[in-house]
Amino acid sequence: MFNWFKKSNKNKKPSRSNEDWVEQLTPPPSEESISHLRIILVRGLKPALYKYVDRELDQFVEDTVQDALLKILDKVDTFRGESKFTTWAMKIAVREGLSELRRAKYKDISLNDLVVNNDESGRDEINQMSFSDDQPNPDRATHERMILQRVQKMIDEELTDKQKMAINALMMHGLPIEVVAEQMGTNRNALYKLVHDARLKMKNRLMEDGIDPDEMLNQL
Amino acid sequence: MKLTKNKLKSMIRMIKMTLDQEIGCEDCYDQLHQFAEMELQNKSPEKALPRVKEHLERCGNCRQEYEALLEAIEASAELTE
Repeated sequence: MFNWFKKSNKNKKPSRSNEDWVEQLTPPPSEESISHLRIILVRGLKPALYKYVDRELDQFVEDTVQDALLKILDKVDTFRGESKFTTWAMKIAVREGLSELRRAKYKDISLNDLVVNNDESGRDEINQMSFSDDQPNPDRATHERMILQRVQKMIDEELTDKQKMAINALMMHGLPIEVVAEQMGTNRNALYKLVHDARLKMKNRLMEDGIDPDEMLNQL
Repeated sequence: MKLTKNKLKSMIRMIKMTLDQEIGCEDCYDQLHQFAEMELQNKSPEKALPRVKEHLERCGNCRQEYEALLEAIEASAELTE
């Protein structure tokens, strides 16, 4: 037991304080610290990303950690000590990995593909919404069509073309926000704000029209 | 487009949940490590950082990153303690 304890402690890397990490990763960084951080990031990313990676998880995680380490070293002076250093570093690595996976998954999709090709007006799909499923109950179907038309009208009258394009891609097609932002020539934060403004306009419109969203949901 | 009922419902829910003031993805990201650590220490991050909580409820991509971060922190805990 005592031997096991000694052995286990011998193998365990000494824990570093936040100050140690920052000092040792500030240029010129210590190779030993980089190596230690690499081990921690790899250990964390494998279980966190395995469900999103369909093959060669080990290689993907190694590549992700390599790219993340470069970013961490570049930003180390921005760490403000609000958490453990390793938590902050892990956050950067997680985003690196998930962003890469999202880009790869949607690399062949263009927002222009979301435009209906057989419509000469070139209107995007959000302007042509209709229900795909057959509704066995005619009364309910009528209610649902009315709600759909109301939402459609609100979109037509309240939103800009950019907002329609963003909502079409994000909400209707489920594309990742960073993929859409890149294709729209903006960034994730600005795109979120664009869509927030759109949601707010639609919410205010519903209020002005005296429509309760909960009632709409109940009728669907 | 052929809209499913679920998509229409989720759009109406998003409209309903909209707040006058919401933080964006980058503001959320700036505080995500702090939020995650508080969560794992049972320190009620939703009270300390309510805007982050609200953003995570509205942004699927940030929520995915947050959930993965929690898993990663837990999986590497024995190396960081």
